Amino acid sequence: MAKLLNLSAFMLVTLIFMFQPQPGYSQEQPEIVCIQCHSGMPEKYSQPVKLWRGSIHAENGIACNACHGGDPKDAANAMSRERGFLGVPKDPDIPAFCGRCHVGVMKDYLASAHGRALGKGGPTCVTCHGNHQVLKASLELINEKSCSRCHSYDRARSIRDAMQETETMIVATEARIIDFKKVGSDTEKLEKELFALRNHFHSLFHNVNVETVKKESSQIQTELKKIQSVLATWDQTNQKRKIAGAIAISVMLLIALFAHLLRKTFE
Amino acid sequence: MRVLNKIVDWIDQRIGAREILKKELTGYLLPRNINAWYSLGSILLFAFALQVLSGILLLIYYVPDADKAFKSVSYIMNEVPYGWLIRMCHAVGSNMMVLALLLHMLSVLFMGSYKRPRELNWLTGFILFSMIQGISLTGYLLPWSQLSFWATTVATNSANAIPVVGPYLVEFLRGGVLVGPPTLGRFFALHVAVIPAGIAALIGAHLFLLKRTGVSTPPFGKKNTESQLQSDVYHHEDHPGGIPFFPDFALEDLRGIAIYMACFLAVLFFDPYLFFPKDAFIPANAFVTPAHIKPEWYFLANYQTLKIFPNELIGLSLQGAAMTFLALLPFVDRGRERHPLKRPLFMACSVGGLLLWIGLSIWGHFS
Repeated sequence: MAKLLNLSAFMLVTLIFMFQPQPGYSQEQPEIVCIQCHSGMPEKYSQPVKLWRGSIHAENGIACNACHGGDPKDAANAMSRERGFLGVPKDPDIPAFCGRCHVGVMKDYLASAHGRALGKGGPTCVTCHGNHQVLKASLELINEKSCSRCHSYDRARSIRDAMQETETMIVATEARIIDFKKVGSDTEKLEKELFALRNHFHSLFHNVNVETVKKESSQIQTELKKIQSVLATWDQTNQKRKIAGAIAISVMLLIALFAHLLRKTFE
Repeated sequence: MRVLNKIVDWIDQRIGAREILKKELTGYLLPRNINAWYSLGSILLFAFALQVLSGILLLIYYVPDADKAFKSVSYIMNEVPYGWLIRMCHAVGSNMMVLALLLHMLSVLFMGSYKRPRELNWLTGFILFSMIQGISLTGYLLPWSQLSFWATTVATNSANAIPVVGPYLVEFLRGGVLVGPPTLGRFFALHVAVIPAGIAALIGAHLFLLKRTGVSTPPFGKKNTESQLQSDVYHHEDHPGGIPFFPDFALEDLRGIAIYMACFLAVLFFDPYLFFPKDAFIPANAFVTPAHIKPEWYFLANYQTLKIFPNELIGLSLQGAAMTFLALLPFVDRGRERHPLKRPLFMACSVGGLLLWIGLSIWGHFS
């Protein structure tokens, strides 16, 4: 009997511990051949890899072949034209090169004073956003150091000032949405709305007309306030829940006290 | 009132209800020095009932399909009236129930209530504890979040450490090579049908054993600390001159349940995400591994033990040995003394073991 008990308990325990969690895995993914080869090359060829690692593209998993084409799994044919390798675009081709993915942005850029100066000494995408260490579109890109390379900063400053408030609102709204998302709130609709508004806002980045920027910014702010009012409603709901919780806890404590006193009475 | 009396009379004439009530409530006498720790059993019964009720309500909207599970939980949390309350009750309740269960086991341990003739009570209780861990683990996968997916991947992967059959066992548990839709189906069936049925049956057995053996006398106060069993013949430990279960101890139980509920509601309304890491609200993605997957707090000591040992099998075997020892404790510790202060070796080992468990859990949390 004792042996049977021992055996049963051991089998049970073994079964339980098959379910016990183990240390997490590291998140290592095999690198594509472009990075493997270029990392070990002289600086001229390895620097793009270093720069790319700090880019918004790297952050979102967009690797070399997404822009330059080629076969990232076959080292021998990685840069083969037959495998779709495009290499480095010439300056006037850069907007079309980037515009394969950023279709709307290319349209905005081409319609702007910057775009209209394409091929005539005007800036391309990489002039402001960088190549390889591609920066996320933000107001930080409009700065005296960058803009003064080609023209005075005065008008750019007016545009940036007009957009700053909206940018701040977008960042704050996004942070609040993330906070709600972290606790299981269904933020999908709000996220989509904010995404559309942010895209609309970013389309202004290529617009150099101060009045248009001010007008559009104001419209975006109105829409942002609608999102913020939804978030405020959620806040109120949470507050109401806390009040209801406090009442429920008080009732439970009163029941406990009542039971305790009644028990003492019976004693 | 007259109608109610008539109904009771009608039933009493047929099944002798008053006699049962008298025997099981007012005539059911308990030790005079019974203490509040004895209420933990009733608290656990209440907590389990709450889990069953909230689980049934969740079943109305939950969809056990890998493509729909996360959305259905999100729907419950955001669209279903009071759905958030039901879901959070279930999730917070599972953690609180494990906490109450641990306290119940500790009180039994320190008061020596597991000793002869209550070896089977301890054993059924220990199996119940393991099943509660099992139901918590299977429930973890159901929301199909990043946390669910990767915690289950890591947990099922443990079976790989078992020589020879390990890989086959992993595939059997997952219903495939990787965690996927078949795993969700299996865990769902275990969580809502197989394990609850097992728990209900074991609770029945546990209560049956309690009734047949009688409530143990606490080893403190005026009463002597020795077991009432003097011979090898079956003997029900009764308590003549003791306090009646109703109303005296029922009020003690009610007080315990109300205090438990106050704590439970405090977590539910003021810190409901205490037991939820941020990955709990991100849909499962087999291609994105979160940086650190940590198990629930009550598995952290096991988790850290496995990290300490370079070989998984050694870690698992050690834990298995410790659990087996605990399960069979009444058969190992056969002394009749139950007062903890009169058992210095037992006290040293128990307090040391408890501190080790707490230390490993804290280490696991911060590692």
